[in-house]
Amino acid sequence: MSAVFDAFSMVASFEVLVAILISAVYGMVIGALPGLTATMAIALLVPVTFYLSPIAAVATIITSSAMAIFSGDIPGCLMRIPGTPASAAYTDESYALTRKGQAELALGASLWFSALGGIAGTVALMILAPALAEMALSFSTFEYFWLSFLGLMCATLVARSSPIKAIAAALLGLLVACVGIENPGGVPRFTFGLTDLLGGIEPLPALVGVFAVSEIMRAMINAPPPPIPERKLGSILGGQWALTRRYPKQMWRGNIIGVLIGALPGAGADMAAWVAYATSKRFSKEPEKFGTGHPEGLVESGAANNSALAGGWVPALLFGIPGDTITAIAIGVLYMKGLNPGPTLFTEKASSMYALYIVFLLANVLMIPLGILMIRVSKQVLRAPRSVAMPLILLLCAVGAFAIGNNPFAIVLVAVFGVIGFMMERNGYPVAALVLGIVMGTMVEQNFVTSLIKSDGDLLPFFERPVSSVLATMTIAALLWPAIVWLLRRLRPAEAAR
Amino acid sequence: MHLSDRVTGLFLVLLGALAFWGGSRLPAVPGQDIGPASFPMMIGAGLVLCGGLIALGIGRSFEVEDPPEATAVPGLAGRLGRMGWLAAFLPPALLIFYVVAAESLGFLLTAAVVLLVCARALGASWRLTIALTLIGPFGVHLAFSELLRVPLPDGLLAAPW
Repeated sequence: MSAVFDAFSMVASFEVLVAILISAVYGMVIGALPGLTATMAIALLVPVTFYLSPIAAVATIITSSAMAIFSGDIPGCLMRIPGTPASAAYTDESYALTRKGQAELALGASLWFSALGGIAGTVALMILAPALAEMALSFSTFEYFWLSFLGLMCATLVARSSPIKAIAAALLGLLVACVGIENPGGVPRFTFGLTDLLGGIEPLPALVGVFAVSEIMRAMINAPPPPIPERKLGSILGGQWALTRRYPKQMWRGNIIGVLIGALPGAGADMAAWVAYATSKRFSKEPEKFGTGHPEGLVESGAANNSALAGGWVPALLFGIPGDTITAIAIGVLYMKGLNPGPTLFTEKASSMYALYIVFLLANVLMIPLGILMIRVSKQVLRAPRSVAMPLILLLCAVGAFAIGNNPFAIVLVAVFGVIGFMMERNGYPVAALVLGIVMGTMVEQNFVTSLIKSDGDLLPFFERPVSSVLATMTIAALLWPAIVWLLRRLRPAEAAR
Repeated sequence: MHLSDRVTGLFLVLLGALAFWGGSRLPAVPGQDIGPASFPMMIGAGLVLCGGLIALGIGRSFEVEDPPEATAVPGLAGRLGRMGWLAAFLPPALLIFYVVAAESLGFLLTAAVVLLVCARALGASWRLTIALTLIGPFGVHLAFSELLRVPLPDGLLAAPW
């Protein structure tokens, strides 16, 4: 019990509370601007976290990501342009509501069910994580190898592109992680004689490049969003209680889908929203109303993308395997702040864990008043010209990357990964898989090599332990799944044509 | 810039082959079968396989095509016309410029150049661009150098604080 009190006193400090408030406003604004994603917001935040205490640092990440995922709904609803990819699934639906003159209902539903979804996701995290930690304590390198490999495979399964391209992207990420001397032999690998590459390629410059610079590159060749139309908004939370009473099943289903997809490595809020919207339509009593301004799908997917955020922290905290691109960045910050992910985090740093739960809850409660405020001023924020925001972000990419290690080479990496991310996105290669490969490469290799040395080169022990055999089956199933789907489609052409 | 699957697939085959070859030349750990070479060689082989499949067009049926964008783009891309895609490579070029110039020109001047070029290329008006160029570098310098203690280079023009 004293750990809970400790946690409260940690969160109640002036620094943490100010950090939460500022990062909440920051997340709201970045999320609302089209083209600036939640992941980008977090990547640009990392240099700032260096100077904060551990709890404050993680609190800024939790708060700003939650706010950004919600506020991405605002331009989606008002202008039919999703602020973040996580809102894309139901942008048409909420814009249809706006066209019917019910913008406040759509925005209110986004806000209300985002906050409830975030809280539900946090509760799931609080229940799931300690239970899984118990299990994780008995894991050996064999299990960790399969788990990280499975994570990579999941990222390729859920990508909305060709699974082969997704696997190729993940392999590319693993190859990037090979660079440096941190390998079983301690020899310089793929460093091409550059001393800057000896330490390997840090995930952070790569992330900033892939998520921020490539976005600026896209802005260069795409037209800016049209100006926002004038509109008076009525009461925002007015109709929400009625919606909650009317669609409780949808809300809970959305929450559960969100947590599960969030916990899957590599799949985050955007995927959760797509799946929840599709599920909602599939099981709805009135599927014909979907797309015409019907709040049902909004309830389910709005809840799902915010609960996915908390779900993403489950594998991140337990195994150091990112549940989504946001936690991929967060893991780096956790290590830097001495909160090394792993099952022992729950026993040795219990008060810090409780503090994180409190931050999660606080962020989602704070979301409601701040969200209302944001919706009210959204017209002014959305008027901020892209031609001012993007250059500033480019400058922040440079300064932020430099700040990580006071090394200008990091800026070169940011530029290179910007080009890589841009080219990959253009040609249908999912960048999330690349990022996961970079973040998890060392872990996959270490566990693979250690396991092979333990088994003296024998592959059989990889399948012998009960948990590892289950994980191995799942991984191989995930690897073969696209082939099975393809075969099924061939066998049932009528189904595919539908 | 959109390339065909054949081009990107063959590029991956080449990269995979290079990774495999480069990996195989790494020194082994004495007395161990598994060393630093194993992992890159596995990845290289995987990339060759995936690249080959992509080049052959397998797995295309899973892809969701993005609708093409036809609206006119302001700024640099619009002026370049058919070569508009080149504008996309301006941001990374500006980053490289920053790396090269920051030490001698100093942060404030370099940042001003980056902001000026980028804002104009995105089609900002001169009034907006000049305001951004005058205020932006000082704001970023204040936040990073003063608050976060990042050692930004002074160069020709040091910050007044």
